Amino acid sequence: MPPLLKFHAWKLAGLLLLANLGLLAHLIAGNIKPTSEWDWTDIFGEGGSTLLVLLWIGLLLKSRPAGRVTSLLFCGLACLFFSLWMDSIDEFVQLPAGVNWDKWLESGPMPVGFILVTLGIYHWHREQLAISAQMEKRERLFREHRLFDKLTPLGAADYLRLQVQQALQQSRAEGQPLSLVILDLNDFDRLNREHGHAEGDSVLQSLTQLLLLNLRRQDLLCRLAGDRFVALLPSTGAQQAQQIASELQDAVRHLAYRSQRNGERLHLVAAVASVLAQDEDGDSLLKRLNLALARAKQTPAAKRA
Amino acid sequence: MAVKGSWYERDSRFIAAHHQPALLLDLALARELDSHRLLRGSGLFHEDILSGQARISPQQFLQLIDNARRLLDADDSSFLFGQRLLPGHYGAASQALQQAGNLHQALTLLVHLRALLSPLLAPRLVLDEQHVHVVWLDACGCGEQRRFMLEASMTALASCSRWLAGERLPWQFEFAHEQPRYIEQYWVHLGEDVAFARQVDMMSLPREYLARPWAGASLTARQVAEHQSLAQLEALGFSAGLLDRLYAHLRTHIREAPNLDSVAQAFAMSPATLKRKLGKHGSHFQEQLDLVRKHVALYLYRVKGYSNDEVAAYLQFHDSTNFRRSFKRWTGFSPSALRQLLG
Repeated sequence: MPPLLKFHAWKLAGLLLLANLGLLAHLIAGNIKPTSEWDWTDIFGEGGSTLLVLLWIGLLLKSRPAGRVTSLLFCGLACLFFSLWMDSIDEFVQLPAGVNWDKWLESGPMPVGFILVTLGIYHWHREQLAISAQMEKRERLFREHRLFDKLTPLGAADYLRLQVQQALQQSRAEGQPLSLVILDLNDFDRLNREHGHAEGDSVLQSLTQLLLLNLRRQDLLCRLAGDRFVALLPSTGAQQAQQIASELQDAVRHLAYRSQRNGERLHLVAAVASVLAQDEDGDSLLKRLNLALARAKQTPAAKRA
Repeated sequence: MAVKGSWYERDSRFIAAHHQPALLLDLALARELDSHRLLRGSGLFHEDILSGQARISPQQFLQLIDNARRLLDADDSSFLFGQRLLPGHYGAASQALQQAGNLHQALTLLVHLRALLSPLLAPRLVLDEQHVHVVWLDACGCGEQRRFMLEASMTALASCSRWLAGERLPWQFEFAHEQPRYIEQYWVHLGEDVAFARQVDMMSLPREYLARPWAGASLTARQVAEHQSLAQLEALGFSAGLLDRLYAHLRTHIREAPNLDSVAQAFAMSPATLKRKLGKHGSHFQEQLDLVRKHVALYLYRVKGYSNDEVAAYLQFHDSTNFRRSFKRWTGFSPSALRQLLG
């Protein structure tokens, strides 16, 4: 069964039942109009709106997890749909002069629906604020879902490039220093070979959480590629960046990562480097950052580690 | 399963589906992709791969790569695939590689067993006084998947040699293609020593690394596994792709001004058949000849330190203007401009 039906079967069944009851009531009480009396402009206008609202309901249920906000939006849209549906049936069925319950069915649910949708959108906004707070340190100022990494909940290299470009302009305009920290696991290749790539993926996901915990609110963490992460540190000088880099390195060393298969402790060691942005563009800054890391990996201390 | 002829072609079904192709499937499954969508258009089902019996052609493998590239839609797909490729789990050939006693043995095995270890791109070993070079050649018309396979194959060899050697080897990488947008993937998976727009696809290392002994190798196990692998190739009836064989033939006979007729004769087929076969591989005779002459010229310049006139004479050009014009057609640069560019 598709997930849409699995999670929302009762909601959709209820709506279908009500829509059918409305149709039946019209058919019992009234007579079908001959084709010559059909008003095609109304049919297209009202019928088209009805179908569009139905489409919204489908997209809503498909794209959102179930919950309070989803239910509010669904009930609101369902009222709007019912109203428009009654309105559309009107075009095909002629009710006798004495009947006026159809006006109630047409106009009653409409305002209720609008109120519910408004409430839903308001709570959706609150929910979005909460989600944004959770995204802190993983995105800054703008969002582009196509630039998200496929493995970790971080932005990937292209997102980082855009952010670096923006941060460089901002730091120049405000006369504030900007630093970048880079972190790369040692022997990640061997970890993948000895413990499997699934374990390697899991290490990267844990590492992401660990690094996020060790950064400040205004910092941004991205996954550059493979096991290499870059943190963008606004308003941060060279010395402070170095401090943060070595704190991240310590945090990785002290992480008691347990393998998924048998809970065995895997010791992780990372190499780090940091650079202070000079008068340069984003690409050369990132290149310089990577060269700094390559140098850091070649020092005897790093080789022993 | 014997295939006639002493080379494989684009449509020869000999690649075990549970070998290299399965690694691509694993990668896709790890990213929660649907196996049906990955296998679409390849004429292959998941059950076939699991059966361990299915053999696919290079063409089907390339279709699979195309699907995987589009579905995974990530810049690191080729590199992640490459990390899994070598030594791999391809039976005796993988065991032989895993038991190599040093880099020289590993590279020699890789070249001899390339039909089993690297069927799409052929590694070619070139030794000079200071360096060992591994040049990667298109074995069967990779077309659009060429860059993906180059990234994967070079990552595979770098990662495998690092693992077997127990230390990071300072490989230098050169690619014929322009620097791609996702340069950071090259830095992370290959290292900082990567150059683009270099006319050849090649990785190089100082010679001293060739003979350094690798721990944990077993001579007897390697010999047995190598023997078994060679028997497998014997049973297949070939050990290299058509374009690979043609490259080697042209390289050997480059000073005898080879042409379509003479080469077709050497390959025991009519010129029309050779033309048709090359067409099937997305190439034509002149392109292959120019590729070999370009590689020979670059080798003479860079390794032997030849002058323009000496290279022209070696390649049987009697007129230096004519040579310069041809060279420009092969590389897009005049000889002196390219020498300056490549240092």
